[in-house]
Amino acid sequence: MWNDLFYLFLQAYEQFSSLPLSIEIALLFIFIAVVITLTSYCSILFRRYNAYVYRKRLAYITPIIEDMITEQVLLNENLGKGLPVEDIEFDQVAITDKIYKTPGVRQVVIDIIIRYRKNFRGEIGDLLRKLYIDMHLVEDSFKKLRRHTWEMKIKAITELQQMDISIADSTLLPLTNSNIQTLRAVSRNAYIQLSKNDPFKFFDIATEPILPWDQLDLFKIITTSKELSIPSFSRWVSYSTNKSVVSFCLKLIVYYDQQNAIPAVMELLNTKDHFFRANAINCLGKLSSEIPEETLVKIYGTQPLNCQVQILKALGRIGSGNYLEFLKQEFLNAKDFDIQINSARSIIRHNTHQSRLMIQELMLISTEEQQLIIKHCQNPLIKY
Amino acid sequence: MPNILLVEDDEIMLKAIKSILVKEGYKVFTAKDGKEAFELISKVSFGILITDLMLPHTSGLEVVSKMRDQESTKNIGIIVVSAVGNQETITEAYQLGADEYLKKPIIATTLLLTIRKLINDKNIKIVH
Repeated sequence: MWNDLFYLFLQAYEQFSSLPLSIEIALLFIFIAVVITLTSYCSILFRRYNAYVYRKRLAYITPIIEDMITEQVLLNENLGKGLPVEDIEFDQVAITDKIYKTPGVRQVVIDIIIRYRKNFRGEIGDLLRKLYIDMHLVEDSFKKLRRHTWEMKIKAITELQQMDISIADSTLLPLTNSNIQTLRAVSRNAYIQLSKNDPFKFFDIATEPILPWDQLDLFKIITTSKELSIPSFSRWVSYSTNKSVVSFCLKLIVYYDQQNAIPAVMELLNTKDHFFRANAINCLGKLSSEIPEETLVKIYGTQPLNCQVQILKALGRIGSGNYLEFLKQEFLNAKDFDIQINSARSIIRHNTHQSRLMIQELMLISTEEQQLIIKHCQNPLIKY
Repeated sequence: MPNILLVEDDEIMLKAIKSILVKEGYKVFTAKDGKEAFELISKVSFGILITDLMLPHTSGLEVVSKMRDQESTKNIGIIVVSAVGNQETITEAYQLGADEYLKKPIIATTLLLTIRKLINDKNIKIVH
């Protein structure tokens, strides 16, 4: 039989080699296209079949897991009796059933426990965490953390974070500086939540940027975590070489109104990067302290437009009244619209007797266009 | 114990809350969206409604509002349980007629205490 097959193949090859070159190439292309199409279809079918089997298994296993959790946690008879959660024991037969030995099923258990924990806190939330530990699922998560694929690492970090399980600094800290952006963001969020002693330590080693979207996430976590001890962010403003870390710290300094950071922020006024300098000026303005006022006015003439605008805004926010005359002169003499509008806004923002008199005076002596600017700035519905 | 209507689209949460309430002796009816909830209300009388805000087809706020508008349900106790925690939504829920607002993740004992408080405050009749 093999000989026949070999003979057939040989014949086909001889026929093929006797064909003109163009036909040979065309046949080769057709052959490759057919093989690729068939492989793709087989691969799609195989994947679909696997997904179907997984869904079937999931549909079978999920109610069993839910029932186990309901019985062991939600309906645990020791709940509400004032017993410490650590002393509440589970039915060992139920939680060590052989069904929970398969890795796939263990992953489903983890996912379901996490879903429950997102919905329950208090005693039930703590008992779910205990179940996660007692079923040794925590070890599964740590195993995933040691895997090489970053998707697995993210999954592991998320699980451990949800379950409030500490991760060693030596494991998590390097991941906060990973060159994979998603892993970096997840690790940083987890580090802040899980590190009890120094949750901002990763700022020290961060060489990768904290992207604006990640900053939003981090900001939310920092400002909503109740037990977080807030350090003085001026530390990173002074020493960090990572501009995104410094920019982020400037925002945190404003949020926590860290007045003691003013000298460190003022140091940034000497930086060569004018976008960065504008951030620092913005921060100083929002801290509303009179300390940097004089320096800001002194450097005003040498600054690019974006920094000048920030200085004018800062003077309005600080609102000491010491530089009303400066603002007036800028409003009257500047050619740039941004300078004019921000000077006017800052004068109005002072909202003192003196500033109101100045506005009245400006309405008399200024041009028609400038009067329009003042009227526009006086509209309380337009956000400053 | 009064009948409780639980409206929640997350099946896990639905089962979980139901089992906690049933353990306490309440008779619990469940609905996965506002439409199902309205159908149940037309057939059964309830003392307490526990509803999520993010529901398919009809939002939880619409459910609350409709309950308060209808004569037969305007006096029932309404508890909103939601992961939405912004002050605007909470205020809106109260303005539309919610009695209590519990933010997820919830504490089971708080939910039970809230139900008991509503039963006492509103003098909700016990169905046998």
